[in-house]
Amino acid sequence: MSIIELEDVVKRYESGAETVEALKGVDFQANRGEMVTIVGPSGSGKSTMLNMIGLLDSPTEGIVSLDGRNVTDLTEDERTEERRSKLGFVFQSFHLLPMLTAVENVELPSMWDTTVDRHNRAIDLLERVGLGDRLQHTPKQLSGGQQQRVAIARALINEPDILLADEPTGNLDQETGGTILEEMQRLKDEENIAVVSITHDEQLEQFSDRVVRLVDGVVRS
Amino acid sequence: MSVLARFPSVLMAWRNLGRNRVRTALAALGIVIGVMSIASLGMAGAAINQQATAQLGTIANEVTITPGEDNPDDGVTEEQLAEIEALVTDAAVVEQKTNDTEVSSRGQDVHVSVTGVTEANELYTVSAGEAPPRLQSGALLSNTTAQELGLELGDPVEYDGQLYRLRGLLESENSFGPSGGGELVLPLSALSEQDHYDSVTIITADGGDTAAIADRIDAEFNSYGRNDDVQLSIFTSADIQSGISGFMNTLELALLGIGSISLVVASVAILNVMLMSTVERRGEIGVLRAVGIRRGEVLRMILTEAAFLGTLGGLIGALASLAIGFLMFGTLTGDPMGVLAWPSARYLVYGFAFAVGASVLSGLYPAWKAANESPVEALRG
Repeated sequence: MSIIELEDVVKRYESGAETVEALKGVDFQANRGEMVTIVGPSGSGKSTMLNMIGLLDSPTEGIVSLDGRNVTDLTEDERTEERRSKLGFVFQSFHLLPMLTAVENVELPSMWDTTVDRHNRAIDLLERVGLGDRLQHTPKQLSGGQQQRVAIARALINEPDILLADEPTGNLDQETGGTILEEMQRLKDEENIAVVSITHDEQLEQFSDRVVRLVDGVVRS
Repeated sequence: MSVLARFPSVLMAWRNLGRNRVRTALAALGIVIGVMSIASLGMAGAAINQQATAQLGTIANEVTITPGEDNPDDGVTEEQLAEIEALVTDAAVVEQKTNDTEVSSRGQDVHVSVTGVTEANELYTVSAGEAPPRLQSGALLSNTTAQELGLELGDPVEYDGQLYRLRGLLESENSFGPSGGGELVLPLSALSEQDHYDSVTIITADGGDTAAIADRIDAEFNSYGRNDDVQLSIFTSADIQSGISGFMNTLELALLGIGSISLVVASVAILNVMLMSTVERRGEIGVLRAVGIRRGEVLRMILTEAAFLGTLGGLIGALASLAIGFLMFGTLTGDPMGVLAWPSARYLVYGFAFAVGASVLSGLYPAWKAANESPVEALRG
């Protein structure tokens, strides 16, 4: 069974008198252990689709299912709980908090949850992405590639089912981007999760198990 | 870290404030000034109040009785005096007759008021000679008048054809006594042609209940069937005191009000700082929300920041105000330690509490706004 599924998802934005249809009936699913890449020109609706998969936004029409459960009509607070427990995010510009150390940044998603101590898992994850000697460094003291590794470790801290990546290599050079993708692929297998990325980067397609092309809000397989 | 890990909002707030120290310091400075103005003005009011009460203390234990407007004899009669003495057993009752006259010496005339009294020691303090407990002969005269006329102890003073030898010189009256001119104090017998007493002064021991005595006399003399039959007019210094303390309370409130204006300005500054810093961190807060940080947690984090600003500013402000308070009490009352007494020290507590309260209140809107923004919008930057 797919871990995440979109069924005939439509997303419309009202902007003034004009209605923009960003997604025009999209079907999509991803499975554990699978690395799926969504590609498409800018304005094709990639980001909107990632927002749907990431439960950051809800569709105008259609159904979103997470691990077989319909999550289409969850409230913002319920979506927050789902994001916290089942989803991990990696962003193009890393988005680490500058005043926290690497290990604190990794712990961030679980920081308010005082019932579990993720400190050891945070250290373990940073060691697994090769930053075992950078635990107490702040983002400023890390290179772009290192920051993105910290971000990946952060995305995995709560043992999610899905890792979502928004242009994960967009701010990195070719070589660093390649190592980041290898890292993501390795962690995907180790943690048995689905990885869904959106990108312009053709290099990313090479690392993918499957590529979904989105044009004008419609999937062209 | 391990301790702070239990209070993630505190950790995050502390780190966030550390990111822009100049802005944090300036925002806290606004609060410092606000607290200082509230606390200093409040303490100034307390110091003035304390000083005024201390000065009033000298006449605080007196009840003065004069003939009332419905008194047929235009004076306090012997019978009334006897009744008063029967009513008031726990304080000294000093009856007086008054008049005025000219005192002459060396060709100079000085107008003085004349008081006939027996228990002179109860009413007067002397700078030279004595104020006898039973004044049967001789006279007392104001120091200033004696100097004006070149009179000394033992010199004779004439009143109503009789000569009285000066036995004591009176200290100059304090500002609440009969003002202007001098005073000549004679035995009651010197004014024997006046049938009635012009006033009766009741002097309690320090801290005595003048109001209760005044009430007892009032009930006895002024309630013959009708309510407004004022045989005796009764006046206690408690009347002045309550008037003055009422004024003092108004003054303290007004000073506090002025002080609070600056704290209101300071909280607007905090509101602005918090709003700016949350707008700047919009994307960051979006990331927090995306990775599953709850709205309430974001709210707590930002409120904690505001509370930190208030606590920091409040503490520094209270300490600075304490220093100012020492100076103020040293100057106004001569006792710097007086600032530590609750009537003035409470303004330090109020100022601090107000600072924290105002800051948290100012943080409420920015925190609410940041917490409730849609993560998609916030991530867009």
